[in-house]
Amino acid sequence: MEFVGDVVNWFLSAENWSGPAGIPNRVWEHVQISVIATGLAAVIALPPALWLGHFRRGGFLAVAVVNIGRAVPSFAIMALFLPISIRLGLGLGFWPTLLALFALALPPIFTNTYTAVRDVDPALVEAGRGMGMRERQLLWTIEAPMASPVIVAALRVSAVQVVATAPLAALVAWGGLGRYIIDGFAVRDNVRVLAGGILVAVLSVGTELLLGALERRIVPRGLSRATEQVVPPAHG
Amino acid sequence: MRKNRNGFLGAILVVVLALLLTACGSGEETGDNGTETTSGEGVTETTSGTETTAGEEMVDGPTITIGSANFSENALVAEIYAQVLETAGYPVERNLNVGNREIYAAALEDGGLDLVPEYVGSALSYLGGTPTADSAATAQALADAWADAGIAVLDPAPAQDKNGIVVREDTAGELGLTTVSDLAGHNDLIFGGPPECPEREFCMIGLQDVYGLDFAEFKPLDAGGALTVAALEGDEIQVALLFTSDGVIAAKGFVLLEDDQGLQPAENLTPVIRQEIVDAYGDDLVAALNGVSAELTTEELSEMNRRIGIDGEDPEQVAADWIADNL
Amino acid sequence: MIVAPVIVAPVIAQADEPFVRWDWVGRNLDNLWAATQEHIVLTGIAIGIGLIISMGLSIVALRWRKTYTPITWVTGLLYAIPSLALFALLVPITGLTLLTAEIGLVSYTLLILIRNIVAGIDGVPEPIIEAARGMGYTERKLFTDIQLPLAMPVIIAGVRIATVTTIGLITITALIGQGGLGFFILRGLQFYSAIGTTQILAGTVLSVVLAVTADLLLLGLERLLTPWARRRAVM
Repeated sequence: MEFVGDVVNWFLSAENWSGPAGIPNRVWEHVQISVIATGLAAVIALPPALWLGHFRRGGFLAVAVVNIGRAVPSFAIMALFLPISIRLGLGLGFWPTLLALFALALPPIFTNTYTAVRDVDPALVEAGRGMGMRERQLLWTIEAPMASPVIVAALRVSAVQVVATAPLAALVAWGGLGRYIIDGFAVRDNVRVLAGGILVAVLSVGTELLLGALERRIVPRGLSRATEQVVPPAHG
Repeated sequence: MRKNRNGFLGAILVVVLALLLTACGSGEETGDNGTETTSGEGVTETTSGTETTAGEEMVDGPTITIGSANFSENALVAEIYAQVLETAGYPVERNLNVGNREIYAAALEDGGLDLVPEYVGSALSYLGGTPTADSAATAQALADAWADAGIAVLDPAPAQDKNGIVVREDTAGELGLTTVSDLAGHNDLIFGGPPECPEREFCMIGLQDVYGLDFAEFKPLDAGGALTVAALEGDEIQVALLFTSDGVIAAKGFVLLEDDQGLQPAENLTPVIRQEIVDAYGDDLVAALNGVSAELTTEELSEMNRRIGIDGEDPEQVAADWIADNL
Repeated sequence: MIVAPVIVAPVIAQADEPFVRWDWVGRNLDNLWAATQEHIVLTGIAIGIGLIISMGLSIVALRWRKTYTPITWVTGLLYAIPSLALFALLVPITGLTLLTAEIGLVSYTLLILIRNIVAGIDGVPEPIIEAARGMGYTERKLFTDIQLPLAMPVIIAGVRIATVTTIGLITITALIGQGGLGFFILRGLQFYSAIGTTQILAGTVLSVVLAVTADLLLLGLERLLTPWARRRAVM
C-alpha cells in the first residue's frame, strides 16, 4: 500500500506538472502525434476505401492490407525508420514514430470502410440507381451514410490503439507518455512506470469515450449496427 | 459429421505441446542471444556446457550464470569471461544484455546472475560509496561495500571506460571547448544521454554540482548508442554523454572534452562474482578471471569495440581473437 | 506499405557508406535462425497456454451466460494495458524471465480467443443443435462433436489474429531479455553504423516474414477445415 501512496504522491508533486518532462507537455506530445497519425491514416485510407467499396472491387486488397498491417510490429517500424529518417535528415523521434503509428492506424480504417460500404444493402443501392442517381451520388447519399457507423467506429478503434501504442516511441528518442515508462524502467523507478501506465490508460479510455460520444452525435440514430464486427488494429 | 474435426483440435494442442516440450528440453533459453555459433577454442554446445572437447575435465559444481549490462562493450567482456571459463571446463550459462545497473545488480544480489563485468567507480557510487581516481582504492572500497551482500570483487583490469562528455567538432571550434569546464556559462545547449543520467552522480548531478553546468534541456536517449550519436550528429543535442572506449568518437570526429575537475572516477573493468560461486570453485576460478583482467587494456578494449560497432564483426569472434592473442 | 519501399529505395541507393551489410547477414544466419526459433517457441507457448485458458473461460462463459460480460471486461482490460507498461511492471515481480514475457503475451491473447471461441460456438445454427439433441446427444458430446468442430473456422480465425499479434509483441519483450528477433532490433539501435541498420532490418524483416507465414499457414488451416462454409470471422 505504500507503493500506492508513492504513486499518488508522484501525481501530486508539482514538479511533475511543469517543464518539458511534465505531464501536460508529455500528454500534449502524445495527443499531438496520435491525432496526426490517425488523421493522416484517415485522409489517405478513406477515399480509396470508399471508392473501391462502392465499385465492389479489390476485396483481396482489403484483406491483404489488414493482414500485412497486423503482421508488421509497430516497434519494428519505428526502429527500422530511425536510420532512414536520420539519413533523410529528418532527425530522431518524431518521424519514425509518426510513420509507425500511421501504419498501425491505416489498415483497420481502410478495411472496415471498404467492407462497410461494400456490404450496404444492395436493394438500397438499386433503388438509388432506379431513381437516376450517379455513382458519386450513390456513394455520398446512400452508401457512406449507411456505412458511417462502422467507419466512425473504425476511426475510434484506430485512434485508441494509436494512443495505447505510442508509448513505444520513447525507445526511438521521442517524448510522449512513454517516456515515464521507459525512463522509469531504466532506473527501476516503478512508481514512475506505473504512473506512466496509468496516464496512458487514462488517455486511451478518454479517447475512447470522447470519440464514442462524437460517434453517437454523427451517426444517424436509426443505424445501430453492431460495431463489434469492426476489425481492430494489431496490439502494438 | 466428420469426426476428424475433433482430431484437429487435438492436433493443434499436440503441436503446441510439442513446441512447449522442445522449449523445456533445449535448456533454459532465457535471453540466449545467439550463442550457438563457434566460440572460443573447441567448445561447441554452449548453453548447457556439458561437452567440452580438448580433453578438459568437466569441473563439477553450480552453473555460473554470466550476465552483462545492455550495451555491447559490457556484453563483450562478459563473453570473454564466458569463453575463458568454458574452455577451462566450468559449467557456464549466458544471460547477456540484461539491462542497466539497477537491473543486473539486483539480479546479481538475488542470485539471478552470478558474474558480471563491472566498472569500479560507477558500481561503488551505485552502492552509496565515494569513488576516486585511484583504481586500487576504489576497487577495494567496492569489495568492502559488496561483501555483505555476498558478492566478491576480483582484480581490476587496467582497461577503463569512463563517461565522456562529447561535442561535435564545429561546436568545439565555435565555443572554444577543450575541457568540460569550458561548457560553463553556455546555458543554451541541449544535453543528451542515457535515461538514468539525471539520477547519476557522474552524469547530470556531477556536471551540475562539480562543474556548475546548466543545460537548457536534457534529452533522454540511450547509453552511448545510435540514438545519442545520431542526435549529436544531427544537432538535436549539442553535448552528449558517450563512453571513452567507444570507437565512434574517433570515427565521427567528435571532440572528447577533458575531465579537468576529475569528476569521473576510476572505472576499471572488474569481474564481480557471487561469493558462493567463488566458494564452490576456489582459487582456480578466481585465477582464471584475474588472468583476463591482467591482460585487458583500454586500447585493446577500444579496438574491440570498434571492430564490433563499426566493422560489424561478431562479438563472439572478437572475444575469441582477443583470448587467442593474449591468454 | 507501398509507401515504404518508395522512401527506402533511394536512401539505400544513394549510400556512400553501405546501408545494409550483407556480409553480416551471411555470417549470422545461425544466430538469426536461433533467434527465429526462440521467437517461434515464445509464440507457441503463448498461444498454447492462451488457448487452454481461453477454452476454459469460454466454456464457463457459455455455460453460465452471466459470466461472459465480466470475463470479457477483465480480458479487455488486460488487452488495453499498454504492452510496455505491462512488461515493465511485471519485472519487479517475476524477474527478467520467460515467465514475465509469457504472462504478458498470454494476457493479450485472451480477449481475442475468448471472443472468437464464444462467437464461434454461438454461431452454430440452432436447428443443428436441436436435431442433435433430438438424436440423443448429451451436452458434452454435443459440445465436442458438433459445436466445437463447426465453430472451428471462427476459432482458427481468432488463433490467427492472436498469433500474429503475439509475434509482433515479442519484438518488445526483447527489452526484458526474452527477445527472439527483437534482440537484433535492440542491438541494432546500439550502433550508429551500417551494422546497426543491418541488424534492425534483419530483426524487422524476419519478424514480418514469420508473422505473414504464420498467418498464411493458419489461413490455409482455416480453409482446409471448412471447404463449404463462407468464412464469417469475428475479428
